[in-house]
Amino acid sequence: MAGSIANFLLSVSLILSISLIFLLTIKINKKNFENLSVIYLCSDGIFYLLFISFILLVYSFIVSDFSNLVVYQNSHTTKPLFYKISGSWANHEGSMVLFILILSFYLFIFTKKKIDPELKCFTIIFQLILIFIFLVFLIFTSNPFTKILPTPVQGLGLNPILQDPLLAIHPPFLYFGYVGFSIVFSFVLAALMTKKLNSFWSREAHFFILLAWSFLTIGIGLGSFWAYYELGWGGYWFWDPVENASLMPWLAATALLHSNIVTQKKNLLYSWTALLSIFTFILSLLGTFLVRSGVLNSVHAFANDPFRGLYILITIFLIIFGSLTIFLLKNPSYQRKNNSFFFQKDNFILINNCFLIFFLSVVLVGTVYPIILNAINGESISIGPIYYNSIIKPFLFVFIFIMAYGPFLEWNKNSNNSFIKNLLILFIISLIFSLIFLFLLNNKNISLTLGILFSFYLFLTVIYDAFREKKLSINLSRILAHLGFATVIFAIFINGYFAKEINLSMKVGDKKQLENFLIEFKNTKSIKGPNYDQITANFLVTDGNKKVELTPSIRKYNQPAQFTSETSIKSNFINDYYFAINLSQFNDNKISLRFYYKPLMQCLWLGVILIACGGIFGLFKKKYENTI
Amino acid sequence: MKIQYKIVILFVILVLLFLAFGRALLKDKTYQPTEMVGKKVPNIILNDFNNKNKKISLVNLTNNNFVVINIWSSWCIPCKEENYFLLKIKKNSKINILGINYKDQHTNALKFLKDFGNPFNLIASDTLGEASIQLGAYGVPETFVVKNGIIVAKFLGPINEEITDTILNLSK
Repeated sequence: MAGSIANFLLSVSLILSISLIFLLTIKINKKNFENLSVIYLCSDGIFYLLFISFILLVYSFIVSDFSNLVVYQNSHTTKPLFYKISGSWANHEGSMVLFILILSFYLFIFTKKKIDPELKCFTIIFQLILIFIFLVFLIFTSNPFTKILPTPVQGLGLNPILQDPLLAIHPPFLYFGYVGFSIVFSFVLAALMTKKLNSFWSREAHFFILLAWSFLTIGIGLGSFWAYYELGWGGYWFWDPVENASLMPWLAATALLHSNIVTQKKNLLYSWTALLSIFTFILSLLGTFLVRSGVLNSVHAFANDPFRGLYILITIFLIIFGSLTIFLLKNPSYQRKNNSFFFQKDNFILINNCFLIFFLSVVLVGTVYPIILNAINGESISIGPIYYNSIIKPFLFVFIFIMAYGPFLEWNKNSNNSFIKNLLILFIISLIFSLIFLFLLNNKNISLTLGILFSFYLFLTVIYDAFREKKLSINLSRILAHLGFATVIFAIFINGYFAKEINLSMKVGDKKQLENFLIEFKNTKSIKGPNYDQITANFLVTDGNKKVELTPSIRKYNQPAQFTSETSIKSNFINDYYFAINLSQFNDNKISLRFYYKPLMQCLWLGVILIACGGIFGLFKKKYENTI
Repeated sequence: MKIQYKIVILFVILVLLFLAFGRALLKDKTYQPTEMVGKKVPNIILNDFNNKNKKISLVNLTNNNFVVINIWSSWCIPCKEENYFLLKIKKNSKINILGINYKDQHTNALKFLKDFGNPFNLIASDTLGEASIQLGAYGVPETFVVKNGIIVAKFLGPINEEITDTILNLSK
């Protein structure tokens, strides 16, 4: 019943979107912008219709309506309520519903803005086209309300690895980020069409860019955190194509965020900002394609049917071709004013934009090249962390240096020398600090030294920036985000060089002294969970005078019958102690496990939160205060 | 450069990318976790399919031996297809084939063997699918080639003519 209603609602919104596109095209042709409120009402209607269909899908999951194919394949009556709900988007069909719902959500917010009617109508058309394309995909290739007869008594269950509170909220955040750039994309195309790409556009777009960027930051952070404590490999970033797929739009969006400010403040870089807006969304779509189509293998590849992938591929192809053609045809040509000095904020932002694009290209090549190579000559290569680290690292230092320096420059004149002197002092302080630090840690690695030096320098300059003038409230957004970035980089370097991994094989009662750690296997315990059985091992780790108790476990889920290894992580803010049991090797009464010592992980997560907070604070600023 | 040319160039680049991705997409590429390849056979004890009281130890079985381990089930449709090739291996060589009956009902499995032929020298049951997970299997059908206690190859999905030849060559 719920399924038929929802199917009907989806069809209505499909028809509504196509008719609105026609209606708006006619209106634009006639330059008749009266009675737009009806159109806004209809586009809001699409959002409401999709929202109700989504709620109906969630409802089918809650009541375990197994006559619905998607529910049958992804749910089970014994699953806790929370995972029944999150199960509705933890599958291909459901996540597509969420994707389209968010597309219409952004349209919903957009129609509430007071903008020139022609610009607004064009934006709505482009956004509706996106909604239409994905609705066709949803209804005809991945319908979430397909019925099965006879109705099964029990469902197949949700992959246990996805039964995790963080993973339940990770996809919505990521989608709010990815899809958020759709409205920027539609908005920029509309501005190009109407030749209204100006500082007003840039101010209005800023809100959406910042909103989507903040969501994306949180989404990536959550995904990384999940990988860290659920997958049990002891790492937080694997340069896995799926992770890269989310990092690429983030890099493009970060560049966009900054170039858009230059556009706003100085009426410069219009083409560049427009191009970045287009590419950010294209990269989001590419991410969706890579992740969803099954061209890559990962937990995310829900669409095993290659024709779905082909449909997405054709769609992306058309969107890229269409949008870039519009860009080429309507590209605004502005004369650059010739009164600029080199030591000026916009130049520094532009330089760092180039760096971001360079990082983006490195990630893009690393992600896409193996796929293309495999398609052409069947050769499989895997590109690992060494590639990314060795190419990105040296440039990262320069990037950070410019990032630390940029905020102190002025928009319209050569900068004030007093700051340069102070920045030099800060640089010397951080140099001394990093040398003392390394001396204490007894490490002579050059790249570690540079990593600590530059992240600490950035840290100091941001603090200085915060207190130099009494303008903290205006600059808070930038200060938080940059502070977060400094923290993340510092944590990555320290973690990269001091993390330890120890492989063990122990039985109850064993005591082992490995490196600085005394590891004691005390006992095991069996526990019965709501939909799994669990065996927990108790360990006591002694590190110097610190004692940490850790309880890694193995779970056997009953539906689908699958084993998962639950990690145990204890943290004292500075260090994380981390245990994971190897699933594949059971020996008599010995268990084999991995012990990780991961310094500063909490710092890393804190940094990500700070970056996201920076974005969120930026949203609450008044428009004329936009700054970075 | 004229805009028309730029658009044509853009189009050509996109078509090329499209073809490459399309090909990558349509290519049959099952995920091949080679985690266990090159490692020792895990110490797994299984129940004999025909005699519940009898145990089969993978380590003892594969020690100083060439064994093909095939994970199958009566409900698995590709298994029917690959049965022909397993029978062919049995006919053309003296390779020992161990069948692991994965999450299956005994009667259905017996009927399967009756209908399609029994290529296995020995059959073990893995009713809960636990042993197969320890072996590093992801589903059915999957075939492992074990030489002197070491897993030397692993094939996901039904085996075909080509894989049959590979297995026969490995045994030499």
